[in-house]
Amino acid sequence: MRALGTRLLAPAILVAVGLPFATLGVWSLAERWFFPDLWPQAWGLRAWRYVFATAGGQVAAALVQSVAVATATSLVSVVVALPAARALGLYDFRGKDTISVLLTLPVIVPPLSVAMGLHLWFIRLGLAETFVGVVAVHLTFCLPYAVFVLWGVFSNYNPDFESQARSLGASQLRVWRQVMLPMVMPGLIVAGLFAFLLSWSQYLSTLIIGGGRLTTLPVLLFALMGSGDRPVAAAVSIVFVLPAFVALLFSARHLGGQSLAGVR
Amino acid sequence: MGALSLKNLTIHYGRQPVVADFDLDIRDGEMVSLLGPSGAGKTTILKVVAGLLAPTRGAILIDGQAVTDLPPEKRDAVMIFQKPLLFPFMNVQQNIAFGLKMRGDSGDRRARAVAHILALTRLDGLGRRKVHELSGGQQQRVALARALVLEPAILLMDEPLSNLDANLRQEMRELILGIQSELGITTLFVTHDQAEALMMSQRVALLLEGRLRQVGSPRELYHRPADPDVARFFGGDNFIQGRMRDGVFETDFGPFPVEAVSGNGHRRTATIRPEDIQLVTDTGDQPDHLPGTVKRTRFEGMATRAWVSCPSGELVVLTPRSGLSAGQAVQLRLPPEKIRIFPD
Amino acid sequence: MADPDAGRDARTRRAAGRGSLAVMLLPALMAVVGLFGGGLFLGILQGLGHLPGAGLSRLSATHFSRVWSDPDFLTSFGLTLYIAAVSTLVAAVISVVAALALSRLVNRYRAVHFVFQVPLTVPHLVIAVAVLFMISPAGLLARVAAAAGLIQAPADFPLLVNDRWSIGIILTYVWKEIPFITLMLLAVLQNAGRELLDVGRTLKADAWQRFRHIVLPTIFPALGAASLIVFAYTFGAFEVPYLLGRTYPMTLPVWAYKHYSDIDLLARPEGIATGILIAGMVAAAVVTAQALTRAARKKGIVL
Repeated sequence: MRALGTRLLAPAILVAVGLPFATLGVWSLAERWFFPDLWPQAWGLRAWRYVFATAGGQVAAALVQSVAVATATSLVSVVVALPAARALGLYDFRGKDTISVLLTLPVIVPPLSVAMGLHLWFIRLGLAETFVGVVAVHLTFCLPYAVFVLWGVFSNYNPDFESQARSLGASQLRVWRQVMLPMVMPGLIVAGLFAFLLSWSQYLSTLIIGGGRLTTLPVLLFALMGSGDRPVAAAVSIVFVLPAFVALLFSARHLGGQSLAGVR
Repeated sequence: MGALSLKNLTIHYGRQPVVADFDLDIRDGEMVSLLGPSGAGKTTILKVVAGLLAPTRGAILIDGQAVTDLPPEKRDAVMIFQKPLLFPFMNVQQNIAFGLKMRGDSGDRRARAVAHILALTRLDGLGRRKVHELSGGQQQRVALARALVLEPAILLMDEPLSNLDANLRQEMRELILGIQSELGITTLFVTHDQAEALMMSQRVALLLEGRLRQVGSPRELYHRPADPDVARFFGGDNFIQGRMRDGVFETDFGPFPVEAVSGNGHRRTATIRPEDIQLVTDTGDQPDHLPGTVKRTRFEGMATRAWVSCPSGELVVLTPRSGLSAGQAVQLRLPPEKIRIFPD
Repeated sequence: MADPDAGRDARTRRAAGRGSLAVMLLPALMAVVGLFGGGLFLGILQGLGHLPGAGLSRLSATHFSRVWSDPDFLTSFGLTLYIAAVSTLVAAVISVVAALALSRLVNRYRAVHFVFQVPLTVPHLVIAVAVLFMISPAGLLARVAAAAGLIQAPADFPLLVNDRWSIGIILTYVWKEIPFITLMLLAVLQNAGRELLDVGRTLKADAWQRFRHIVLPTIFPALGAASLIVFAYTFGAFEVPYLLGRTYPMTLPVWAYKHYSDIDLLARPEGIATGILIAGMVAAAVVTAQALTRAARKKGIVL
């Protein structure tokens, strides 16, 4: 019984995970697909032509915008989180619990509450409807996430390696660059991926702070869903998940299958 | 009651044979060490006895009842692991009471049994501690208490002392020995440390590369090793080749009269322990003394180890004598009664 | 062969200079306090009726009380709580089973592990779209039902999106969150689980007792943390209920954004106040859950 269950488990997972993507894929290639047929009556590349040609400029712009925002958010998150995580992971000090709570709140409180509050302030600072403004609002939740990931990395990190390198004659700077950085690199990449993906999927806070001016992919996808053109929505959805797949493949290849557990 | 009988155990990991044709009988109340280098298959045997692994062949009997097909929770044997493996989400009392709770004992009975075992393992007052607040030695004592409280027929210990430092280890040995003899629990104790095996147990079973090589009292294994491998494991470095002739073992180091050993005319190997060789520095020529030269020495505290080159070969000598130096001429005497000639 | 923990403690306790700790922590803390704290603070001020340039003298709880007393608020709150609670519960239960099954699946673990990570990286929005295509009245499932002769027209198909029971929303969340929770549990089980289970077996615990007294306490902290994160997310998320929910009643985040983006600018502070209330409720839920856990632990209940 157990053997059968185990043998069925893997295919079950594969189907459950794959079905939504298969659905999107078929829809994106459906030229005509009326109820109640199980299979499209006519196949075609209309949706993809629309995505790449007709609305190519718009989609490309949204793609670039999304990549830019997510990359910037991810880089800033990791760079700012690294020293903080090192302090939290390696040392005990008063106020550590308070800091932990302070960092937990942004992970839990929904971005829309924060974005609404920031909006007016950002308008007055001239940050509304700007790239920097959107990155800043994404940082409110991406940065704490990066700190948590790296905190975990540093609490398993043995600083004796650094002492060893120092005693072998390396300068502090070289120790950081040639001992610490390589050792925490897998964690650093995971943290960066976390932040990237979090920022990448963000819709409402981008909309509030970007004010519709900053059209990232989710903003575009929402607009397309409103138009009711299913094949096009499916095609854009696929474009929207591709970077996530690339990130996953990258992590699987370069991190030796280290799990992305904890990504949301 | 708890006599343990292992019959013809053969164990594979995948296709890899790990233990072959292992037989061992342990009497009720006896403490037996299963000794061997790491990788010899000791822990594997212990896990098979506990029921955590299934043997490919063979049988396990407790008091004559076959338990080979019983799951671990149905066997009257408890295992203590190398790491304490205390449940981190329970305090000391809860850890110790775990097995009693699983068995369905009432809270009252559990409390009484836990209090008793806390005293026995010298953990009084630590019952409400969290496990991560304990020292390594205390943690291992809790693991011991957690097993003992069940009063199992068979206690299985997998190198429970190897994670402790030397002083603590000695203290724990005394504690385990005391409790074992007080409670009379049949115990199979796995260790890679020959000294530990010799001092802890009534009998020692030596396992080399998955095969049982010798079982016997500590003295037997130490002084009467069954074969050169066993001798080597116990630090016997001197091997002497020779031939049996009319009650005399004739070797390059001279003839040694022996009690009647069969096999007249056959080649045999013998060994003599380094501390059994007598070393003299005054050069009165005695007929049974071998001349030699000290090649090098190593001070080992209570004795000095000397590598002595004789015309017929090199011998290792452990002598209480001090002041030896390389190049010094010495005489060795090999007492015939200390020579152990291996059967064919 | 010293106690491994001893070294670890010495390491953590090694003091760094106060100054250097501050330098390391300050950028991150400033960003969080400034942007997140600032956002919440300004949100509260605006919810209390503060308008830029008008000073702080005219703060009042009018907006909050208007939101609070709106009969729709309670309905929205109920709906939001229902969606978040059911999604979290279903995902958590399935995840516990999945994690246990997967932890046994050692040989094919790597491939399954990889496939299991896919949903983690996919935006909620995309899955909401796919779920819509699958279970809407003209969706894949309805077509299968038609092919099986169960229904004739899309209208015969039970409403699973924009529906009374929020099936589509919950399905989207469950699909997305199971891998999140499962992988958190799996990490714990792989680390500590197996050896402790062996100990449990030799200490006479049967299969159910091992699950109740060893597996559950081992995974509980991770399960609790992951479930809280899922609950908080599903309680405060906008996209999925906006896309797959009914127009009335709507979830609190959708309600908040509707007010916030209303052409009537007077509705905006109410939207912000709602956003703050959502934040408060989520924080309260997390604090309560943690307090309950701590209280249970104090009573000696092994969780």
